[in-house]
Amino acid sequence: MAKILVVDDEEHIRLLYSEELSEAGYEVITAADGYKLIEKIEEQKPDVVILDIKMIDYNGLDLLQKIRNKFYNMPVILCTAYDTFKEDIKSIAADFYVIKSFDLTELKNKISMALDASIPSS
Amino acid sequence: MFEKEVNPDNIQKAEFIVAIPSYNEADSIAYPVQQADQGIASFFGHMKSVIINCDNNSQDGTKEIFLGIKTDTPKIYISTEPGIKGKGNNFKNLFQKIVDLEAKGVVVVDADLKSITPQWIKNLGEPLFQDFGYVAPLYVRHKYDGTITNSIAYPLTRSLYGRRVRQPIGGDFGFSGKLAQTYLQNDTWTDAVSNFGIDIWMTTIAMNENTPICQAFMGRPKIHRAKDPGSDLGPMFRQVLGTIFELMINFHPFWSNVKWSKPTAIFGFGLGETEMPPPVNVNKEVLLEKFQEGFSLYSHIWEKVLQKGANNKLQEIRKMDQEQFDFPTNLWIKILIDFIIAYRDKLWNRDELLDSLIPIYMSKTLSFVKKTERMSIRESEEFIEEECTQFEAAKNLLIQRWNNGKAA
Repeated sequence: MAKILVVDDEEHIRLLYSEELSEAGYEVITAADGYKLIEKIEEQKPDVVILDIKMIDYNGLDLLQKIRNKFYNMPVILCTAYDTFKEDIKSIAADFYVIKSFDLTELKNKISMALDASIPSS
Repeated sequence: MFEKEVNPDNIQKAEFIVAIPSYNEADSIAYPVQQADQGIASFFGHMKSVIINCDNNSQDGTKEIFLGIKTDTPKIYISTEPGIKGKGNNFKNLFQKIVDLEAKGVVVVDADLKSITPQWIKNLGEPLFQDFGYVAPLYVRHKYDGTITNSIAYPLTRSLYGRRVRQPIGGDFGFSGKLAQTYLQNDTWTDAVSNFGIDIWMTTIAMNENTPICQAFMGRPKIHRAKDPGSDLGPMFRQVLGTIFELMINFHPFWSNVKWSKPTAIFGFGLGETEMPPPVNVNKEVLLEKFQEGFSLYSHIWEKVLQKGANNKLQEIRKMDQEQFDFPTNLWIKILIDFIIAYRDKLWNRDELLDSLIPIYMSKTLSFVKKTERMSIRESEEFIEEECTQFEAAKNLLIQRWNNGKAA
């Protein structure tokens, strides 16, 4: 069962994602902020990280950079309520992005693409 | 007098190299050399470093200018034999020199660069001493600068090999000494690689070797001798495309197992506000004319190479005037696939085949220009990203066509 880490400071979003993604057959773990996120990833070894961009105390794009530098191939899906984040060039280090919505169809599609993405060893 | 190598300081070992390939760059080479020297002094001062000019035996005084520039970093000039031209041949000499000097990291910058700063040397070089083996540049380019990159090299390489490297033929990049050894031993070298095919060859080999790749953010745009996409691009187009297609044959076992693409790490933020690139003017009339001319020059090739649906679509597009002109991305992808298969199957003389793709590429470029003319650079980047998604979605079609054998 693939493990998804949801990082979002809004509790209702964490609950919604946990419920829906668990129903879709994923194991879901959550984090309310970016505190010790790298350690958490090291410990929990998720298959995909879903990362909110605008959290009260953390900038998701900075967290994305940290994740990318440490876990070169870790799939990261950025979640946002606005698409202005694309003005920041750091956003290109994400595998995918989705606009936050109560309909998780798009998010589930991206999760499945992220899990499906593979690069063979040479 | 021809000199294969000039090494005034008799440098035998170096940890870090900045290399500048050239052919008749006497007018422009001084500036990147000075910037490289400052970059080395500021950021790699603790390392034994050297600046190398790898040249095609230029007769315009490039060597004299290069060796005459006052720098703190020692310099070495190396050249191909008289009569041997091509950027790739310069690199072949460079790879050998890197191995001889036992260098750990190498940064290459173009000799015609006008916007390079010492920070570029840092950003392209520093990741090589961390975890990365290949560093591609990430700069803001005008939406019409680098149309071969935007329409072909970036989306095709990304969908084939699964790595998102925005400037796979950027001309400025970094690589490890270990990778130089790999390049030297690789047996996929062709005439096209000896010339302009070298950049895409190096990027593709790095991807196939699963080398950790990052993109270095340059902060400033690439300002160099930009070309109007409608101007003569025959040799470059042939050599870049020919190299991509040739490597597809060699690396089929790798790319056919790649699903979707993955981003790469980004290095070098915090350079302040990003400077916008100067405008690139495009002559839309010339693009349309060259597309129209293509029918009289190449329709016999297109009929043999393209699937019927694509040929019919081209005929429809032919009737469009500039106002209504539109070349759909999915048609472009299907045509590229037809050409890839035709190239592999040697359905036509390969050089002529690649030449015959140029008018179609011109029409795709015209369509891109029309669709993005009111867009900002960021919006046009999003447009290109959307096209890349279409390329990735069409990967199954490519694999099917590849496995089904013979062309149209």
